[in-house]
Amino acid sequence: MSVIAVYNIKGGVGKTATAVNLSYLSAGGGDKTLLCDLDPQGSSTFYFRVRPAKKFNVSKLLKGGKAVDGNIRGTDYPGLDLLPADFSFRNMDIALDDLKKSRHRIGKVLKPLRQEYDHIFLDCPPNITLLSENIFHAADHILVPLIPTTLSHLALRQLFRFLDEIGQKRSKVLIFFSMVEKRKKMHWEMMRLLIKKPGVLPKVIPFLADIEKMGLYRQPVTAAFPRSLAATAYGELWTEIEKHLDRG
Amino acid sequence: MIPEPKEKIWLLPESAAMNAIVDDIGQDFTIEIEPQPAVTITWFDTFDWRLYRRRKVLLRQNKDSWYLLRRPSGEEIVSLQGNGLVGCSFSSDFPPGRLRTVLEPILGVRRLLPLVTLDSSGVLIRFLNQDEKVVAFLFFHEQRMRKADVVFRTVKLRGIRGYDKDFKAVSKSIRRHGIVDSVSPFYALEEGVRLTGRCPLDYSSEFSITLKPEMSARQATLAIFRRLLEAMQRNTPGIIDDLDSEFLHDFRVALRRTRSGLALIKRVLPPEITETFKKEFAELGRVTGAARDLDVYLLYEKDYKSRLPASLRGGVEAFFADIRSRREIAQKELVRSLRSPEYREMISRWHDYLDSDDGGEASENSELPIKDLAGKIILRSYRRILNDGRAIKPSSSDKKMHRLRIHCKKLRYSLEFFASLFPPADIRTVINQLKKLQNNLGAFNDLSVQQEMLHQYLARLRPGSGRNQQLASAIGGLLTSLHHEQQQVREAFFSKFRRFARSENTGLYKKLFG
Ligand SMILES: Nc1ncnc2c1ncn2[C@@H]1O[C@H](COP(=O)(O)OP(=O)(O)OP(=O)(O)O)[C@@H](O)[C@H]1O
Ligand SMILES: [Mg+2]
Repeated sequence: MSVIAVYNIKGGVGKTATAVNLSYLSAGGGDKTLLCDLDPQGSSTFYFRVRPAKKFNVSKLLKGGKAVDGNIRGTDYPGLDLLPADFSFRNMDIALDDLKKSRHRIGKVLKPLRQEYDHIFLDCPPNITLLSENIFHAADHILVPLIPTTLSHLALRQLFRFLDEIGQKRSKVLIFFSMVEKRKKMHWEMMRLLIKKPGVLPKVIPFLADIEKMGLYRQPVTAAFPRSLAATAYGELWTEIEKHLDRG
Repeated sequence: MIPEPKEKIWLLPESAAMNAIVDDIGQDFTIEIEPQPAVTITWFDTFDWRLYRRRKVLLRQNKDSWYLLRRPSGEEIVSLQGNGLVGCSFSSDFPPGRLRTVLEPILGVRRLLPLVTLDSSGVLIRFLNQDEKVVAFLFFHEQRMRKADVVFRTVKLRGIRGYDKDFKAVSKSIRRHGIVDSVSPFYALEEGVRLTGRCPLDYSSEFSITLKPEMSARQATLAIFRRLLEAMQRNTPGIIDDLDSEFLHDFRVALRRTRSGLALIKRVLPPEITETFKKEFAELGRVTGAARDLDVYLLYEKDYKSRLPASLRGGVEAFFADIRSRREIAQKELVRSLRSPEYREMISRWHDYLDSDDGGEASENSELPIKDLAGKIILRSYRRILNDGRAIKPSSSDKKMHRLRIHCKKLRYSLEFFASLFPPADIRTVINQLKKLQNNLGAFNDLSVQQEMLHQYLARLRPGSGRNQQLASAIGGLLTSLHHEQQQVREAFFSKFRRFARSENTGLYKKLFG
């Protein structure tokens, strides 16, 4: 069983695209899978065409137990469930701050769900916040999509520093290159620089139109175009990640 | 706990048309229709329903996929896909993995038999809400049974977590179309099996019969023998086809029970019948014994190989290869005997006799109420064990232990013949007590059989080559450890027997059967 948080301090790097496609592949492989959409923008929720119940909100989420159970939705795909996001999640940090043990709240909410699912994916909003700290405690692995640019390099350094600060192992972090553009020389150079670093996976997700258009057809690209380049890339990435997961 | 996705299956009446139903429901939803690829499904279980008994159903889909499902929910426990899986019959035929790990302890030495094959085709309907999100699935299934002109038509509604309202709405429309007979996910399989003349749990190697206390001894005895004859006959085809070693084993157990019955239930059947069939069945015991002994030897093969160093395994291999070829011969002889006119004629004479209304001439005890006679038989058996058991000393010969084992079996058989006449809880207690003693004696016997087999092997081993000498000393080592183990079992016997013979147990026998 493992909880995999898809995270990057930066926005728009392909976190949601990754979470959506990998959770679909995980379920397709026969593992019961839950995708938790923690981003108030609700992009994962949107891709799966789910609407959260009117009564669902951030305090229900943080309460956990039945309040969460009752809001999990089956997706169109066998073995894959979704915990939808609500716009009220934008107040997550304030809500967390009001609670006792505010750093371990998400972990506590996920605990009973760990019994029921083989994999839980967390689609995280960008930034470093109290929520991110919660997520780093709760997750067994932090999967970081990285666009190979100089800026992303900095983001990675920031992330490591933050993990050190809160006493979390750097080895939780798995990194892969996202939205890689063949023609950009800078991408190649950055990748060459980083590929040898610990935790950097040897599979990349190229920049592909089929992924970009996911918002139009609202399905994982792996489900809609299982034979596409995009699906193949996610498939190889998932196989690679599975080698690193804690089994048990 | 996550609620499992809701699922409901109904029988589809002849009159119900898929299109009409779908059109009707389609008013509230967007609909997607997707024909499903045709598949062939075969249901497998052992002859004695080991999987079904444990709430499991094993299916092979087409030639390359196996599914182990939970009964009655239909939920998947484990599945396996791959080439070369078509001919799996024993658990050891499956590649190492989850499926095999689950099957191994359940199947034991038994073979998986195909029970029924269905050619299945269907259509999947998806119901989508205004967001184009799927909220329910409906499957129309048509399953055609091989070798029979029967089609099972069902419709299955599967809900999605968090979309209960839609499930209810679709379910209601379905009912409106007169589809109301809800059935289990295994409906077509179970009905199909019935058409082949079998039905789930129709065979068990345990003996059970319901007798009424007021039955005459003769009626009851005939009923018991009929049940045992049925067990022998049901196992005969499996022996002849050499499906697995349990058919012969169960056959011989029924035969032994019959012989014990003939010996224990005295002066109920006419003496000439008893005498004739005692002889006939003794002969049958002999004829079937050779093959069974070799079967038993072969069951030790894996264990021995694992106990010997790898370098010597080859030598033992030759020994078991020899046993296998001897078993081939014994099996052929056995088949010849079971197909012989003499055997068939004997069995049909026995059958005719058991089916005759009057059971022939009356004997002294024929008209006694069975309950009275049963108590006497059980008590006599019990006393015999007490006497013989007490006479066993640490210095007694092995023979005495073996004889006691046989008497315990006889007591066990008579308890099982007559169990229905006594309070079930008491019978359970009495049988459990006896079982503990039988386990000790069984282990003792098992160790004797193994030693005897290894002695046979040593006798055949030609001295000479260095390897053979090594092998001989390895086997010698095994023998020593078996002998040692047997001594321990024997030492344990005395305390087991004391427990069995203690006054509370004796009191219970007197109260129940005296
Ligand atoms: N490999 C890719 N190739 C092309 N487009 C991509 C790729 N990955 C993501 N996109 C597109 O880029 C946009 C941002 O991606 P995504 O939403 O997955 O990123 P994110 O990190 O989750 O963003 P946010 O921080 O806003 O949550 C989306 O329109 C998505 O379709
Ligand atoms: Mg996102």
